[in-house]
Amino acid sequence: MRWENRSRWIVIPLTFILLLILLFPFFVMLSTMIKAGSEVYSVPPKWIPSHVEWSNFATVWVQYDLARYFIASLVIALGATVLNTLLCVPAAYAVARLRFPGRKFAMYLLLMIEMFSPVIVIISLFKVVASFHMLDTFGALIMLDALFTLAFNTWMMNGYFKTIPKDIEEAALIDGCNRVQTMTRIMLPISVPGLVTVMIYAFIFAWNEFLFALTFISSKDKMPLTIGLYNFVGQYTTQWQYLTLAAFLALIPVLVLFYVIEKRLVAGLAGGAVKG
Amino acid sequence: MADASLSLRQRIWNPEARLAYILLLPTVLFLAAFMFYPIVYVFIMSFFRTNKLSQLVRFVGLGNFVDRFQDPEFWWACLRSLIWTAIGVCTKFLLGMTIAVLLNVKYRGQKVARMAFIIPWASSVPISALLWQWVYHPAFGLLNHTLAATGLWPNPPGWLGAPLPAFGATMWVDVWIGIPFFALVFLAGMQAVPKELYESAHMDGAGGVRSFFSITLAGLRELILISTLLSAIWTFNDFNVIYILTRAGPANTTNILITSVYMNGFVDLRFDWAAVQSVITFLILTIVSIVYARFYFRQENA
Repeated sequence: MRWENRSRWIVIPLTFILLLILLFPFFVMLSTMIKAGSEVYSVPPKWIPSHVEWSNFATVWVQYDLARYFIASLVIALGATVLNTLLCVPAAYAVARLRFPGRKFAMYLLLMIEMFSPVIVIISLFKVVASFHMLDTFGALIMLDALFTLAFNTWMMNGYFKTIPKDIEEAALIDGCNRVQTMTRIMLPISVPGLVTVMIYAFIFAWNEFLFALTFISSKDKMPLTIGLYNFVGQYTTQWQYLTLAAFLALIPVLVLFYVIEKRLVAGLAGGAVKG
Repeated sequence: MADASLSLRQRIWNPEARLAYILLLPTVLFLAAFMFYPIVYVFIMSFFRTNKLSQLVRFVGLGNFVDRFQDPEFWWACLRSLIWTAIGVCTKFLLGMTIAVLLNVKYRGQKVARMAFIIPWASSVPISALLWQWVYHPAFGLLNHTLAATGLWPNPPGWLGAPLPAFGATMWVDVWIGIPFFALVFLAGMQAVPKELYESAHMDGAGGVRSFFSITLAGLRELILISTLLSAIWTFNDFNVIYILTRAGPANTTNILITSVYMNGFVDLRFDWAAVQSVITFLILTIVSIVYARFYFRQENA
């Protein structure tokens, strides 16, 4: 313990320096988003702007139509969350609680699919999406975003169901509930924390998704935030004060949500040695 | 004979198994349509010449593979993937471990520091990549200005414009996103190591460094393995950072296997070549994820 007392004098300054380095882009973001356009492109660049340009806030909402991108992202992310939850909860219950041939194989497969990169199938997914006549629709993004977190969320939910003692469920079965009733009346209410984790994870994934939106969305009014912001940069001179401000606004929801699930997420990824 | 078939039937088709299949069916159908079928189709595509609309034109057997293997750019992409993953994961590991050690000391504000360290992982990858693009801006970016003004690096390169700095700069963004995962996993593992072990090591005269290696690292062995595999897969798969920062340029110098799939397909419209690279990437990933799944289950059961 005495070692710990002394080590603070090294630990705290070192932590401070590392944080200065690692949070650098966010300091740049905070500095740029309140600058006037003329100061964004000044040589040499300045950290502290001469004044706070409050009108930036209005400009991103009005001129850059940020609300539309927010709504698109929200529709896609909420849709993906609902679809994902509807699929992963029953599947996880089956894997966690029911005995059936192929159960081991299913668990193995789930864990492997988790590692799968959508880029590998992007060229053939294009054909699949086109054959469903879903190019340039929210539906395509909702389905694909839900799909690529499905394995992980089924896995997480399975882990959560397993922590619930079997006795509770068996008592309900004896009392005359059927399997579906035990699930909706007993298992799901107990599993709310697990449910919240998978829902948030699905939401964050869809909110941050880039590749599918890049590949499948072509009309401007369906673009989510990630693509909307990416396209900001394509223009002749990028108005970085607006872009950084939009980035800041888009980051807030995911940061907040991430803190809610962070511990469970790490536990789910690293396995039994880490407690959630 | 009848008995055996009955028991088999019972095993597969009893009420419990039936319910399980019904519950799994939607997920399985969904995965089949949007994941398994596309994988199969990519394999098929890799044996055909395709046109610019990605339609199959004629069967060429292994022709596309031969094409790719004879193209030096393919081998460069493989080599870049290897360097990208190896150096990336090592850097993430070392910095993550350092941060975990720092966070494992209790002081006022330690919780805040922990939250702050998570931000790069919690943040949206495409948005982070865009922010970094601005940070790296050669004339107006605050990175070069700060490096020059503080004298740390009087003459920094224009990061994303030249081959070698671009590779390093994009790799750093990927590393930067991946550090917190290691830090959190290792921190959680360290906190699970019983305190008495350190005390008895101290009694036995072991110093801080010695007990770090023989107690902390030894206790984290399984976690190190699993998290390194996981991080390797993520690093290898990182498409977003490269695409957003450099679009695999300048002159393909940041093009790794995973980005070459997309560039071959949607930029060069050589879908057959893209399919070959997809197949190869798929095989590599499958091998690594089998290893990951193995260790994961072994650890779960331990």
